Amino acid sequence: MDELDETQLKNHVDSLKQQLQFNREKTSVAILELTKWIEEKMNEDPFLNPDVLKDNPWVESSKCVII
Amino acid sequence: MGEMEQMKKEAEALKTQIEAARKAAHDTDMASAASGVAPAPRVQLKTRRTLKGHLAKIYAMHWCTDNRLMVSASQDGKLLIWDSHTGNKVNAVPLKSSWVMTCAYAPSGNLVASGGLDNMCTVYNLKTPVIKTVKELDAHTGYLSCARFLSDTEILTSSGDTTCVLWDLETGKQKTVFLNHVGDCMCLSLSPDMNSFVSGACDSLAKLWDIRDGQCKQTFQGHTSDINAISFYPSGNAIITGSDDCTCKMYDIRADQEVISYQDAALNSGVTSLDLSASGRLIFAGYDDFNCNIWDSLKGEKVGVLSGHDNRVSCTGVPGDGMCVCTGSWDSFLKIWN
Repeated sequence: MDELDETQLKNHVDSLKQQLQFNREKTSVAILELTKWIEEKMNEDPFLNPDVLKDNPWVESSKCVII
Repeated sequence: MGEMEQMKKEAEALKTQIEAARKAAHDTDMASAASGVAPAPRVQLKTRRTLKGHLAKIYAMHWCTDNRLMVSASQDGKLLIWDSHTGNKVNAVPLKSSWVMTCAYAPSGNLVASGGLDNMCTVYNLKTPVIKTVKELDAHTGYLSCARFLSDTEILTSSGDTTCVLWDLETGKQKTVFLNHVGDCMCLSLSPDMNSFVSGACDSLAKLWDIRDGQCKQTFQGHTSDINAISFYPSGNAIITGSDDCTCKMYDIRADQEVISYQDAALNSGVTSLDLSASGRLIFAGYDDFNCNIWDSLKGEKVGVLSGHDNRVSCTGVPGDGMCVCTGSWDSFLKIWN
């Protein structure tokens, strides 16, 4: 904070006042919902559901044939 | 007491109150909340492509929304556009300044941007018969550390001058300047709904900003050194940061606090870059020790490692469909893994 001039310091204090007003959710609610969201999406996650990665564009799907 | 002293005291008091409010909201931690969740399986990925073409350290890469093309930036003075499926180079963009630190692909696929120690963000049109420079955004007084397009008409930048800026690409002028960090801004990430973004800086803080009103809404602390990498969770309700303090952290936006730290006593290299798998369950974090570690975001455990680079992993990116992860390195190569 030592590098700030008077105007910057005032803006900093005003910003902190605004940030204090934020309506914080309890972690029990927030983390639970986050966990649920992730678990639901894991089925579509190619790294966690090998079925999604069946059509892997970086793996040859057919064998090479020497003509 | 002078005005300045008074305000400094007030700032400290407000910070203490904010910490108290966070503590009051902290009625459980991630370890307890995720105790019923099965651990993620060990993840072993193979290198599917090694993209060779750059002649010097790679500093940044960014996927196109088509999940196939990507742009990379190297201090050999070039941006290369790659077709990741074939490994072929589609385009090469020579840069006026070779000291590039960031690159970005517009969601439309029409434009790419780059910037670095020239303090400018240069935007190129890939769709004209010859690639043209369409704008040079020149107002930062420090290096350009990161750029991200919102559309073909707006781009966000973060800079070593401690500010982030939203630019109008039609006029080339600054629309909004985001002021609040006291250290070099090193990285930024747009929220999925594009109404806000987060930035990480050398003041070891991450900040959440409202894009439209320009205000810093929340500040996340906990790191003890520069934050080099940051990413929004696909749900929009959490962020992950990576720092020179060798840890990654998850901050929950609604609870306004750190909920878990990803660290290991054996790890004493800084985190340079990171990205998340499609569900957010896995974090791919690039480190100075040449590896990219894979973390289980809910359990806080390492579940895999991508080893193969011969120098620092400087950039990491997962395409929109989550089908692979790309790592770029100071060894001049990019690798695609899945």
